[in-house]
Amino acid sequence: MASPYTPPIQALIDEFGKLPGIGPRSAQRIAMHIVKMPREDINRLAHALTDAKDRVRYCDMCFNLSESEKCSICSDDRRDSSILCAVEDSRDVVAIERTGEFRGRYHVLQGVLDPLQGIGPEQLKIKEMFRRLAPEGITEVIVCTNPNTEGEVTALYIARLLEPLGVKATRIASGLPVGGDLEYADEITLGRALGNRRTIEI
Amino acid sequence: MLIYRIELTDFRVYKHAVIEIEPGVTAVVGRNAQGKTSLAEAMSYLATLESFRGVPNDALVRLGADTAYVRANIRHDDGREVLVEAEINRSGRNRVQVNKQRLARIRDLLGVVRTTVFAPSDLQLVYEGPTQRRQLLDDALVALSTNNDALRLEVDRIVRQRNVLLKQSAGRMNAEISNTLDVWDEKFVEVGTRLGEARARLVAQVTPYVCEAYEVLAGEPTRVDLIYEPEWRTVGLGAALVAARNDDIRRGITTVGPHRDDLVLGINGMPARSHASQGECRTLTLAIRLGIHRLITHHVGAAPLLVLDDVLSELDPSRSTALLRHLPAGQVIITTASALPEAAHPDAMITIEDGEVVASVKIAK
Ligand SMILES: [Zn+2]
Repeated sequence: MASPYTPPIQALIDEFGKLPGIGPRSAQRIAMHIVKMPREDINRLAHALTDAKDRVRYCDMCFNLSESEKCSICSDDRRDSSILCAVEDSRDVVAIERTGEFRGRYHVLQGVLDPLQGIGPEQLKIKEMFRRLAPEGITEVIVCTNPNTEGEVTALYIARLLEPLGVKATRIASGLPVGGDLEYADEITLGRALGNRRTIEI
Repeated sequence: MLIYRIELTDFRVYKHAVIEIEPGVTAVVGRNAQGKTSLAEAMSYLATLESFRGVPNDALVRLGADTAYVRANIRHDDGREVLVEAEINRSGRNRVQVNKQRLARIRDLLGVVRTTVFAPSDLQLVYEGPTQRRQLLDDALVALSTNNDALRLEVDRIVRQRNVLLKQSAGRMNAEISNTLDVWDEKFVEVGTRLGEARARLVAQVTPYVCEAYEVLAGEPTRVDLIYEPEWRTVGLGAALVAARNDDIRRGITTVGPHRDDLVLGINGMPARSHASQGECRTLTLAIRLGIHRLITHHVGAAPLLVLDDVLSELDPSRSTALLRHLPAGQVIITTASALPEAAHPDAMITIEDGEVVASVKIAK
């Protein structure tokens, strides 16, 4: 069936439709909105897109999004280097930072164990995390993966590897709904969950 | 719980129909393929979010339409009014609103509406493989407590994840894969054990209700057994998985666990499947449905809607009479293509023809 839109608009709709959380209807709305926007706003948006792509990279230490080799958290000397919070992705760093409850550093695993998606330990930044333990004097890792099946299994996997090294593995617990997403937890709940973390039983 | 109004749009044979349903017993009459089973199916969809015939979603949408709508007005025993609106799409996600609030996950609807459906196809419970019997148990668990839905979904998910790992590990088992498998097993043990315990508890609780229902239908005391004794439960799932690991790796699937369980049905001390007559098996499946219905009623404190879809003609006259005389309290819908038996004293009668309600009468007693 031929598209009812002229090709440039259809292309725009197709591109927006590929983005996470945007369904066909939203993609249409955004595309129609964009063609009505003033030229200068369009330029600013286009620049923001390419600029983000050009300037954002992963931090060499924690694999969070960063503007330089070392992100602002890894380069902040006032952070407690003995405690590390392992999260699934950069959005979780933002969520935890918002609580203001955590003064240690992060490690972004860039996913969780998920065989159905072809993701095993090698696809994650797990080895990179273990390489940080001794040099940084890390004594506790809080595994802040989401409280769903894959998140729990990943936490267990990490805890089992940490155990022989004498590094404490903890998990945030109370308050977070099972099957929920860290990203959507409110600050108070997440802050309380961090405070009430428990040792992972292996 | 009372479903007092149901509106179907583009649902199976219905283009658009509004059906008002009385409390008590409602007979739905009409020739075959006119919409009786569709009505039963709409009601069970609201309870389980799937067809009781096990057909895919797109089979619920009327030919030529893209989306089917089921709207139901429900009044709970405490007077609470609930409007459930389900949108079933031929392709894409389904959506559900409760009192005009869209549910984030459609599975949040579970527990809002409860139904018990008995249909001729239930005979498969005896004659087919264990899948349907596991589903029978798990559907009952979900009706008893919606937490059980997450439990059953998690077991499914772990098994699928574990099977992928097993297939990957074929011929190239190393420490890393073995470690990964260990953590999946640990999670599987935790969740699988809970599901096994829940099923065992359910079977123990429901058995007396099933025996009682069987006796009422058959008119004489009969020994009925529901046997849920998976081997892994005697040694523990952890030990069973260790023992099966080499086999699992070789075959690339998880060979032990709750996803392989069976419920053995027995009459007079013998397996029903091989030793009972078809009439006995039909009575047994009906007794199981009624037993679960009574357990849920007792446990939840409210009777689910009971739907007897086209089953009277399948029972012999004495059993059909016994069933009608001992219908559980609560709302009951009986669909039939033939004349209602003498023993049926419906409170209302709805006639359906070609996807339309052509008559709806209350019957004075
Ligand atoms: Zn960093």
